[in-house]
Amino acid sequence: MRFLINPDFINECQRNWSRRTFLGKSAQAIGSLALGALLNPRLLGGAQGARWTGVLSAPHFLPRAKRVIHLCMAGGPSHVDLFDPKPQLTRLHGQPFPDSFTKGEQLAQLQNTQLIARGSSFGFSRCGRSGQQISDLLPHTQRIADDICIVRSMHTEQINHDPAHAFMNAGSIAKGRPSMGSWLLYGLGAETENLPGYVVLMSGKVDQPVSSRQWSAGFLPSRFQGVQFQSRGAPVHYVGNPEGVCQSVQRQVIDEIAELDRNEAELSLDPEILTRLAQYELAFKMQSSVPDLTDLRRESAETLSSYGVKSPGDGSFASNCLLARRLAERGVRFIQLYHRGWDHHAEIDPKLATLCRETDQPAAALLKDLKQRGMLDDTLIIWGGEFGRTPMGQGTGRDHHINAFSIWMAGGGIQSGLTWGSTDELGYKYVDDGQKMHVHDMHATMLATFGIDHKKLVYRSQGRDFRLTDVHGEVARGILR
Amino acid sequence: MSLLSPLPKSRASSIEKSIWAWLRFVVFIGTSVELNAGSTAAQVGFNRDVRPIMSNTCFKCHGPDIKNNKSPLRLDLPNSAFAPYRNAKGTVFTPLVPGKPEQSEVWRRVSSVDPQERMPPAESLHQLTAQDKAMIKRWIEQGAKYEQHWSYMAPTKAPLPDLGVSPSVQHPIDLFIREKLAARKIAPSSEVDRPTLVRRLSLDLRGLPPTVEEVETFMADRSHDAYSRLVDTLLASPHYGERMAIPWLDSVRFADSVGFHGDQLINNFSYRDYVIDAFNRNLPFDQFTVEQLAGDLLPNATVNQRVATGFNRLNMVTREGGAQAKEYLAKYATDRVRTVSTTWLGSTMACAECHDHKYDPTSTRDFYALSAFFADIKQYGVYADYRSSPEPDLRNFSNHSPFPPEIVVDSPYQQRRLAHFRRQFQDRVTATAQSLLQDPVHAISMRLWTDQTAARLRGDTGGWSVATVERALAEPPAISTAAEATVPSKDERAPKEKVKFALLTDGGVRIEGTAVAGRRVGEGPHHGEEFSFELRPPVGPTAALRLEIIPDEVNGGKVARGNNASCYVNFTLALIRAGENLLQPLAIAEAYTALPTENYFNGQTLPSLLEGWLTHRNLSGQRQAGIYLLRHPLTFVEGDRLVIKLASRNVGRVRFAVSPLGGRLEVDAAPEIVAAFTAFRPTPVQQALLAEQYFLGTGAFAADVFTAALADLSKVVDCHGGRAASVVTEAVDPVVTRVLPRGNWQDESGEIVQPAPPQFLPGGGRSAGSPRQSRLDLARWITARQNPLTARVFVNRLWQQFFGTGLSATLDDLGLQGEYPSHPELLDWLAVEFMDRGWDVKALVRLIVTSSTYRQQSRFRPELAEIDPGNRLLARQNFRRLDAEFVRDNALFVAGLLNPDIGGPSVRPYQPEGYYASLNNPLREYVPDTDDRQYRRGIYMHRQRTFLHPMLANFDATSREECTSFRTQSNTPQQALTLLNDPTFVEAARVLAQRVLSECSDSDFAGRLDYASRRLLARPLPDRDRQSLDRFFTGQLDHFRKNREDALRLVSIGLSPKPDHLDLAEFAAWTSVARVLLNRNEAITRN
Repeated sequence: MRFLINPDFINECQRNWSRRTFLGKSAQAIGSLALGALLNPRLLGGAQGARWTGVLSAPHFLPRAKRVIHLCMAGGPSHVDLFDPKPQLTRLHGQPFPDSFTKGEQLAQLQNTQLIARGSSFGFSRCGRSGQQISDLLPHTQRIADDICIVRSMHTEQINHDPAHAFMNAGSIAKGRPSMGSWLLYGLGAETENLPGYVVLMSGKVDQPVSSRQWSAGFLPSRFQGVQFQSRGAPVHYVGNPEGVCQSVQRQVIDEIAELDRNEAELSLDPEILTRLAQYELAFKMQSSVPDLTDLRRESAETLSSYGVKSPGDGSFASNCLLARRLAERGVRFIQLYHRGWDHHAEIDPKLATLCRETDQPAAALLKDLKQRGMLDDTLIIWGGEFGRTPMGQGTGRDHHINAFSIWMAGGGIQSGLTWGSTDELGYKYVDDGQKMHVHDMHATMLATFGIDHKKLVYRSQGRDFRLTDVHGEVARGILR
Repeated sequence: MSLLSPLPKSRASSIEKSIWAWLRFVVFIGTSVELNAGSTAAQVGFNRDVRPIMSNTCFKCHGPDIKNNKSPLRLDLPNSAFAPYRNAKGTVFTPLVPGKPEQSEVWRRVSSVDPQERMPPAESLHQLTAQDKAMIKRWIEQGAKYEQHWSYMAPTKAPLPDLGVSPSVQHPIDLFIREKLAARKIAPSSEVDRPTLVRRLSLDLRGLPPTVEEVETFMADRSHDAYSRLVDTLLASPHYGERMAIPWLDSVRFADSVGFHGDQLINNFSYRDYVIDAFNRNLPFDQFTVEQLAGDLLPNATVNQRVATGFNRLNMVTREGGAQAKEYLAKYATDRVRTVSTTWLGSTMACAECHDHKYDPTSTRDFYALSAFFADIKQYGVYADYRSSPEPDLRNFSNHSPFPPEIVVDSPYQQRRLAHFRRQFQDRVTATAQSLLQDPVHAISMRLWTDQTAARLRGDTGGWSVATVERALAEPPAISTAAEATVPSKDERAPKEKVKFALLTDGGVRIEGTAVAGRRVGEGPHHGEEFSFELRPPVGPTAALRLEIIPDEVNGGKVARGNNASCYVNFTLALIRAGENLLQPLAIAEAYTALPTENYFNGQTLPSLLEGWLTHRNLSGQRQAGIYLLRHPLTFVEGDRLVIKLASRNVGRVRFAVSPLGGRLEVDAAPEIVAAFTAFRPTPVQQALLAEQYFLGTGAFAADVFTAALADLSKVVDCHGGRAASVVTEAVDPVVTRVLPRGNWQDESGEIVQPAPPQFLPGGGRSAGSPRQSRLDLARWITARQNPLTARVFVNRLWQQFFGTGLSATLDDLGLQGEYPSHPELLDWLAVEFMDRGWDVKALVRLIVTSSTYRQQSRFRPELAEIDPGNRLLARQNFRRLDAEFVRDNALFVAGLLNPDIGGPSVRPYQPEGYYASLNNPLREYVPDTDDRQYRRGIYMHRQRTFLHPMLANFDATSREECTSFRTQSNTPQQALTLLNDPTFVEAARVLAQRVLSECSDSDFAGRLDYASRRLLARPLPDRDRQSLDRFFTGQLDHFRKNREDALRLVSIGLSPKPDHLDLAEFAAWTSVARVLLNRNEAITRN
């Protein structure tokens, strides 16, 4: 194992962890009952005005990552067209897909139809020193090949969009399970209190719906849920003052509320009141920090053009990638960018080219920007969809596919320039060679980059200790630095 | 520290410090074990003291999940725990030897210092504390007596505690509570002041604060039973049902949309009405249970009982393309088990979906046997017409279709609303007609119109004259309006097919040929064809047009062409005046039909034909007529032509007619109208009727009133005739239910199971003569006397509603991992009492709120902070933040804005723009209500499962995707932002301000503040608050005097009318004061 992390960062981590003794100890004291969640004011509202610093009292192992930027390519990008070249599939193009692969397997819209192999129409290049193979549709990603780890052995259990997103986010399709961002906030807190610790951005043309369930805190207290920044109106709900109310009037109103609440607190001694006062202060801070965050005007023309931002704040993936960097800089723990439009049941060739054009440059620019600012080492970037697409054609497109798909990960303690895992010669199924990566494995690995043992970050609900990885998950040690 | 003396500037920090110091202890929850243990320190109870420890640390490997246990030794069963046991190495030992810890292997292992030996193993997340170990040792010493789990034994009534010294305490609840307090020498808190008490009770029973008058009445009533009568009054309020319904709707996961993928809307609000009504009429809880689970199976089931079975249809469902029906049916089945077991049994059976339960004696077989009860429900895995789910009942189903089966029922709310708008319409028309009769200017034109109309009515046509179709074209007309020219055809790929027309002798036209597929017509989801017809309208005044769709022999006696049961039509109307060559579009104000249609948007029927008309497939052989009211009535002259551009799918034969009579809701003119027109000498009543018809047929005299009358008619149409569709349970032949190994729906190797309640719980017979247990059997088993869980679960949930925490805090788990109750005898006593009183919910509520325990002050008691940090002993009441819906209701109520209507379809308050942008299939645009529905109670707020209204979400309302027994009570910046900036709350503040200024126009600031505070908190403010607000107000006044534009913008927020007579700066400054009042903690807290 190579240690390439700045020692200051390690020290800082340790300081942070050691401050987190308060709840860690009391959680043990709660012991068998663990009713903390029901009545613990700190868990519910950040009592004392102090920000939530997480439930974990010490890292389980050396933390590398401090934050995640998840670039979720919603709809399911085709792995055989982007990251997993399959010459054998190309040779088979137009011919029946071998029965031996598909017998007894679950399919989506292709169920009960004749299966025809569909080779990729796109070329692949070996890129960088690492020689990773990346589609020519992604020229910018090709240039960061040495910074990313391509995982070709991803697989999931859910074949429809909505449950597949749920599975990717929460490791379960049962409703009420927290998403991975919520788990991280619960475990570690955020490094900002003026912004939500878990932010979701959406771009792309209207396509398959994406539910707010995907960033739900589930049974965790609602303060750990993701906050979707809106592309229309105020970025965060109700963050703008009412019409006719300037900042100074708003300040005076909040001060007066505080005055009355303190009077009340003296009489009733209800501790919730002081928590509420602290929340009003935070709200007021958020009212200025959110506009400051979303104001891209101060970004240089050079930066804007490197991301391919045409009109700053236009809700494009490019704008959102730039916002993601700004969120990361401000200490947001989990940043999730959905880009919709990858559900290519038909006309995959032109559509895929369009989607790649929309996303390739911004994603690569984000990585390079973080690297240049020295933030890539502690930022974990994950690029990928909720599933992949069939190597079989569906007319001019491809259907949903769960047995194999590709993602890439970068930064945050992930090996760079590495291709991890593989699929069979037709890209139908992952190869079980010690490098397979189930969604649970990806979650375990992600938590590991934060120094968290996925088996130990638990929350009790209905008498059971739940975790992000349910009862599964293997850390892919081979891709960690 | 003196808390009551005026404090210096630094007081804030000192208070904070002291409160935080106490708060520190609040973190240590789960004290009830200690609280219980404390009173009988010496005697260890297995249920109370030992099982919680063992369940958490031992049962994972030595418990009921034998397939996954790490060892065959079971510690949950005494037989196994006392028997000699041979381990893998061949050593024989006895796990538990009563009275002899040192001979017990259990004790040896848990107390071992050797990490290889010690239990639980080092890698286990849950280790034993020294205290835990001591408890286990003591338990073995005392004989290691096992007990059945407390909640699996039937509850019994323990004798009421005899408190001896205080015979004044009579109330059973107080006796149990005081007994525990006395044991710890803690005095209960005194009764809270009357204003706080009435506000508490009102918020708890109605979810609304009391009115100023209610407070005054209660304050003035010094009789001994004043409180008791207050309770009765509030229990009788129709808002009681709304308040009680909310936790129930959380539990049964009631929402307006289906939750998966496209999250389309589903027709089910009548179920919500049923729940509200059931609580209001105090339907016994056992009956309530039976009706929801199995109302359809009751003999002679009433409509209401069938609506109740909507419960079985509240699970999330999908119509996603490519979804496998079988997979989703499995999801629906498990969802039902989770909901039923949590809601009624407080049980975590969900765990047994994939494996036998780790802690409770629930097997996977139990899980699937419970799901088998619901195997007879008519449902579809995927509610869409996809190749992969070829369900005949779902043919042509799209994202706009309903979710069958559903029934159409009376909606009392819609009927009230319908009557209201009919009356409003009629009042408007009558008043106009009366003034018309007084007006000589209109007498001549009215006479002329009446004569012309009378001539038409004499022809026995019901007022309609056919407008003959003279020309029919498969192409759009050669002349087009500017507007049309800019609209390109929706789908250029559609092939144009030859269609022929037959002009018929009745003036209509028959379309012949195959329908054009794939071409999108109109704005709706429909694909089809476009034609245009040229009509010669009868000469004379015209206010309405009728479209008839007529069955024809050529089409097999159906209204639709081809082999279709229904057809779609919509059209635009234009006029070409005689001698001109220009199309003038004619606007249609409203359109409707008396027949059922299948035109849905997002699963909800569109009552108006304005957006198109999809005829009902069950009415294919019946003549259909739709009425289209002209926005501007007109008079046709000789040579005028009407051009109708018809968008259609499969329509067969149509005919058009026009009428001079407008604004009617019947197909033909009513006999009394015909009589009035044909009377030789109209009576005064008939004259009035004629004047009304003249007004409606011409819009003359008062264009603005005519517009308003048409708007009334639109609202009438919008009431769906006082009827509503509602999803219900329809029983069909049950599908086979198998145990799914590890929950895998594709694995068919599991055994087939029959419906049965969990084997470890008592009861569960089958109904006589029936080979298979039914949902009715399940409901009766759930509510049987011997079921140990149902009554406890409900009582516990109710307790939480009135005290903030259940007697067992784990409302959703009374199983082994649940919390042992703080007052087990009280919980059991109440459960038995509840059943003894015939599951009478109001009686139970009454019992709770009349106790002194309920009526205590909630003031925090520092001296108890360490002894009872969670206030589980209830030496005081608890503060509780209002639930999300009530936060909103309260603000609207205080402002006088709340619309108190009960029941009906969901409503759409303001919501941040673009919030539904991520929704698709179909696309959604949230359109807020712009009438009185804007101000309805939170329980009626539209609930989109995938995107819960941000205000509700911020205040911890649940998304209703999954059964939830309690909501967390968070305290976040998002809540502050909502109360500060959500237009609903700003408008409430603004309206409260205008109310204060109008109602107290003669008062000074103090008097006005006093009024506002009484509305909000049921009491005047203390001097200190008043003085502070006075200073604040002066500053605000000054600011808004200098910034009048800001003042105007602030007081203009919201839809409600704004008075013009108020001084702007004062109005705005008072709005600031009202914002402060509505934002203060107390405003959203029930003290």
